[in-house]
Order: sequence, then C-alpha cells, then structure tokens
Amino acid sequence: MASLPQLLEEDIKQLDAALDDLLVKSEASAGLIIDKGGFLITQRGDVRSFDTTSLAALAAASYAATQCIAGIVSETSFNFVYQQGQNFSLLVQNVDDHCLLLVIFKANASVGAVKYFATAIISLVAEQLRIARERDPSASLDLSILNIADPSALFRKKKS
Amino acid sequence: MAIINQATKELQIKIVYYGPALCGKTTNLVQVHANVQTANPEGKGKLVSLATSSDRTLFFDFLPIEAMAIKGFKTKFQLYTVPGQVIYNTTRQLVLRGVDGIVFVADSQYDKMAENVESLANLEDNLKSLKLNLADIPYVLQFNKRDIPDVAPIEYMEYLLNNRDIQVPTFSAAAHKCEGVFETLNMITRLLLNKFINEAGRKSA
Repeated sequence: MASLPQLLEEDIKQLDAALDDLLVKSEASAGLIIDKGGFLITQRGDVRSFDTTSLAALAAASYAATQCIAGIVSETSFNFVYQQGQNFSLLVQNVDDHCLLLVIFKANASVGAVKYFATAIISLVAEQLRIARERDPSASLDLSILNIADPSALFRKKKS
Repeated sequence: MAIINQATKELQIKIVYYGPALCGKTTNLVQVHANVQTANPEGKGKLVSLATSSDRTLFFDFLPIEAMAIKGFKTKFQLYTVPGQVIYNTTRQLVLRGVDGIVFVADSQYDKMAENVESLANLEDNLKSLKLNLADIPYVLQFNKRDIPDVAPIEYMEYLLNNRDIQVPTFSAAAHKCEGVFETLNMITRLLLNKFINEAGRKSA
C-alpha cells in the first residue's frame, strides 16, 4: 500500500467518456476498466446483464494467468486475451502496469474492429489513471471520515 | 492495492485467506456468505468458486461483500482464498497481487503443524516476489478446527506462528460452525481501516 490511488469525479468522467466512445464506435455491449488486483474501477454500457464485480475479478485472474503462460513460452507478455462465445465474446487488453480494459461484445461483431477501437482509447485511459495516481492525496482525500469508533459492527452475523 | 473512488464514494479493499491445504479457507468464505447480515441485499455478492471436480480450490474462491456504510462511504470488501496444495504456488502468487490484508488460517491438528509453518513461510516468499513484506501488511491468524479432539494447545501454535517482533491478533475458530469466522473478519477489517487512516494522516501532515 505504497499509495492509495483515489479516483475523483473528473477521473471517472474522463474514463467513462473514453468507454462511451469505444462502445459507440465498436458497437460493443459493455466496457469495463478494472484493476489487475480484480477491482472494478468503472463500467459503461449494458452492464446490468452481467455480474460485473465477479467478471472483473475473474478477468483479472485470467489475464494474470495468461501472462504466466507467456513467460513459459518465452514471450515477455501477451497484451490481450480474447474469448469467443456463442452469444457474447470478450476482450481483455492491457492498459498499464495496474489496469486492464475489458470489452464485452456480440459474438457476431468483428473482434478486429473492437480491438482497433480499444487500442485507440488505451492511451487516454492510461494517462488519466496516471494523473489520478500521481495526484497529491492530501489535496482531496479525507479518510478521517472513516474513523469509526467500533469497527466490530462492520460485519454482523445473522441472528439464528 | 485498495482503491478509493471519490466519485461513487466507495473504498474497495482486497483480503486474502491463506493457509495450508484443507485448513478451512473456503469454509470461512462459505460461512461469511451464508451468515452475513447485510442492510442492502445487493451488498452481498455471489460466492464464486473455481474448484476441481473433487471440490478442492483450483484457482481461488471470491466473495464480494459490502460492509455497513460508514459515514457515507461504501466499503466494498473482496474476499479471496488461495489453493492450499503445494503445487499451486504460481496461482497463489497471482491471487496475492494487490492484496491489502491477509487472514492466515492454520489447522489446529497436531500433525498439521509442519504444514502450517511451511505455508506461512511460503506466504512470506510469495509476498517477497511481489516486492511486499508481511510485516508491512495487516494480517491476523485464525487457529481453525478447535472443535476437533486433541488439537495442539493455543500457546504452542502462538509460539510456532506468532513468535515475532510484532505479534498479530489470533482467533480460535471452528469455521464449519461459523465460530470465530466473523471475529476474524472484523479484526482484519479493523486493522486495514486503521492503516488507511494512519497513512492518510501521515500524507496530509
């Protein structure tokens, strides 16, 4: 926990705008920006159709496993993971050291087009995340509001 | 690494349950999933298990869960387990990526002590490969299976697993009965929140 990357409204707006642009141009169903640790950062499109929290965790794990496979076959990395389905396909593409872009699109859409438009927004997303990471945390973050007197109430067991 | 989303007022935190094979890591998550009280029914996510046909964890178990809101901040916890078997070490390294807090689940049976010690050493090695140090990460120890007859004394397990400069909180548990499960989870949560608050305080000082 060297730093706590905090995302402000302006960051999310920029990331959402990039995803919206991707979805319009590629006609994809949904776009997600996820942390390589499995966190969902932001999502756009028809996200109600999918359990995106689990999707983010599984996609991050799948991407990490693919990078291990790349190492075994003497590749420095595989930059993207593509899964083709009957109804939907999925593309996971590297953004930077910390984040991934996940695109869900109809199986009959062209993966080449999706990949082309996804690649086009990667640098925008990476730049915004870099800005968010390097921003002075003290300027806008006040975690003292989390200063709770009794955290034992966070998770409660149901009464039987 | 935790993520704070000021736009949606969310704090996302990753907790990994680590320990030797068959010590009860998955059982902890199953019990949390079954028994947690949530104000918002959508706050409890699905328990995702990537397991073998014989129900052993292959990659990880994953449970997203939303804690009670704290002064307007939604705290979203992502609970993971790792596969315990020795051969899945690469997989354990992958799951540890971005970890914020660790629950080390130890098996209280006498004949499992060597495996407990080996697994804790393996945790430290895997953290080092991610350029992390166990001493810098909030973690707690859970001595599970205390309801089995003839288990090792708590003092002996403390000596084996918690004999360090800074001792961490320990909990006795019988995870399959949900005993000690929530106490453990609440303590790691408390350590994590305290750490975030202290770090924020240092940065703003």
